[in-house]
Amino acid sequence: MIEALLQTLLNGAASGGVYALVALGYTLVFSVLGVINFAQGALFSLGGYLTYLLMGGRIGVNGALPGWGLPAGLPFWLALLLAAAGSGLVALLVERVAFAPLRRRGAEPLLALITSLGAGVVLVNLLQILMGAEGYAFPQESGALAGLPEVLMIGGARIRTIQLLLLLVCSAAVVGLSLWLERSRGGQALRAVAEDATTAQLLGINSDAMVRLAFVLSGALAGLGGSLIGMSVSLPGPYFGIGYGLKGLAVLVLGGLGSVPGAIAGGLLMGLAEALVPAEASGWRDALAFAILFAVLLLRPSGLLGRRTVDKV
Amino acid sequence: MIDNGLLVQMLLGALLGLSVYLPLAAGQLSLATPAFYAVGGTLAALLSTRWSVLGATAAGGFPVLSLLLELVLGGALAGTLALLVGRLVLRLRGIYLAIATIALVEIVRVAILNLPFTGGAIGIFSIPQPFTDASGYLLTALILLVLTGWICQRLDTMPLGRAMAAIRDDELAAGCMGIDTTRVKLTAFVLSAVVAGTSGALAAHFLNTWNARQGSFDVSITTLAFVILGGSRAWLGPVVGGLLLTALPELLRPVGDVRLVLFGLVIVLGPVLAPRGLVSPELLERLGRWGSPTREQKP
Repeated sequence: MIEALLQTLLNGAASGGVYALVALGYTLVFSVLGVINFAQGALFSLGGYLTYLLMGGRIGVNGALPGWGLPAGLPFWLALLLAAAGSGLVALLVERVAFAPLRRRGAEPLLALITSLGAGVVLVNLLQILMGAEGYAFPQESGALAGLPEVLMIGGARIRTIQLLLLLVCSAAVVGLSLWLERSRGGQALRAVAEDATTAQLLGINSDAMVRLAFVLSGALAGLGGSLIGMSVSLPGPYFGIGYGLKGLAVLVLGGLGSVPGAIAGGLLMGLAEALVPAEASGWRDALAFAILFAVLLLRPSGLLGRRTVDKV
Repeated sequence: MIDNGLLVQMLLGALLGLSVYLPLAAGQLSLATPAFYAVGGTLAALLSTRWSVLGATAAGGFPVLSLLLELVLGGALAGTLALLVGRLVLRLRGIYLAIATIALVEIVRVAILNLPFTGGAIGIFSIPQPFTDASGYLLTALILLVLTGWICQRLDTMPLGRAMAAIRDDELAAGCMGIDTTRVKLTAFVLSAVVAGTSGALAAHFLNTWNARQGSFDVSITTLAFVILGGSRAWLGPVVGGLLLTALPELLRPVGDVRLVLFGLVIVLGPVLAPRGLVSPELLERLGRWGSPTREQKP
């Protein structure tokens, strides 16, 4: 009984960690630009596929390059980091194409919503053309778990090692990012731009560079999340990131738009709540995040940990 | 290349564009259109197959009158849902409202996927046909579009439409001038839902099958793109956007798999190249009064 609960809680915390990564990605961009990057879900997919390829996975027969694959696979941790970096670079490209031109014209923020969605559509369909629509399971032989057994026994509970690894990587990413934002000069500069871009610019901070940095980091977080989910479950097709992107949106609002601790707490809460849904009702699990979101929006629109802002007239 | 079937889809696209346009005309960014579309379509599918109250004839035909009744019921059910949900969500503004309406879309989608009588992932199929070919649907969709367009056009000269425009320009000021902003926003939201629900009921028969995927988040994106690319300042904008963008993937079919990538590129580049949409205020001015609100510009 206790073991089952422990297992459930760990599963919940692991998927909650991934939701937190996605939500943090949204948070970074939202705090500097005040807009939501709807391509986040596509970057999540991209990360998963990049890791798969870097680990030596082969493309299926439905793709444009059937049977193609790298001659040698990288170990999981290296592939994970490279895939995160790759997703970060593509996020930068998304910023250049879908956000920068609008910002230069001072266009309505609403338009960025459309252009980033369009960028997501392009990304996902490019993946589909190149890799095909079929699902992929990660190659397991390349020592992903660094020689650890697939299942660990902790306090009598059978825990999948990958779940534990997932939780560790998410925690490391989240703690690292929070510390960096809090302590480092770059992090302070980013927060200054988030607070007030004009004043930050006057104080000598290159706010354009900070916007680009926010995009790279958010893309990397999404790529990391996609890789981890791909490893622990599989890649069911190029669209799989979209669902995570939407749930990340729910987490974002749950925690409060623009709040880093809120995104983390919201992610964990959402993951745990989903894990506690009984198996008979598993079909409804996907609606839970949005039902919670609905309740929170109505009771406390600024989110659980968000700041209440007062509109000035 | 454009046959009657595609024309029906284009007209349905234009109707969904208008459904997104109506709340936006009152300054409210709602992405809930697919939820109402799905509700209308599911009701029509159920009424004409499983619950069979509207009696398909033994020959497999379906009375046109029953279809019309379903259109009314689909719109009414969607409108009722909007009335209930709208009271809650319309307190939210801007991006919060957008996200809450996405949540509604997802909840409705999961509900249709999991309810015991909506057919799960496969959905409901063999929905009876009131018409022998697409031209009947074409006529029905055209009438619906003309009717909706006429209402939108009338709105511009009615107190309701003027109140919507006032809220769009400045909600606080509109409230101070004595406009009941909650009621006006709610009315726009319900109108939007009625249009979407009616379109869904027609689409269910036209497509012959109906499932949860018909009302997914993708539809939120594409219908919003109809309005943004077509232009959100006059009702003609979303109609043009809906017609063109629905036809585009079909017209791009010869280029094969790349067509959705091109479609995405159009969505990325459209707002950059034409920030006010194809039917821009400048174009409307040139067209004169026709099909436009042409409100007097402030000096």
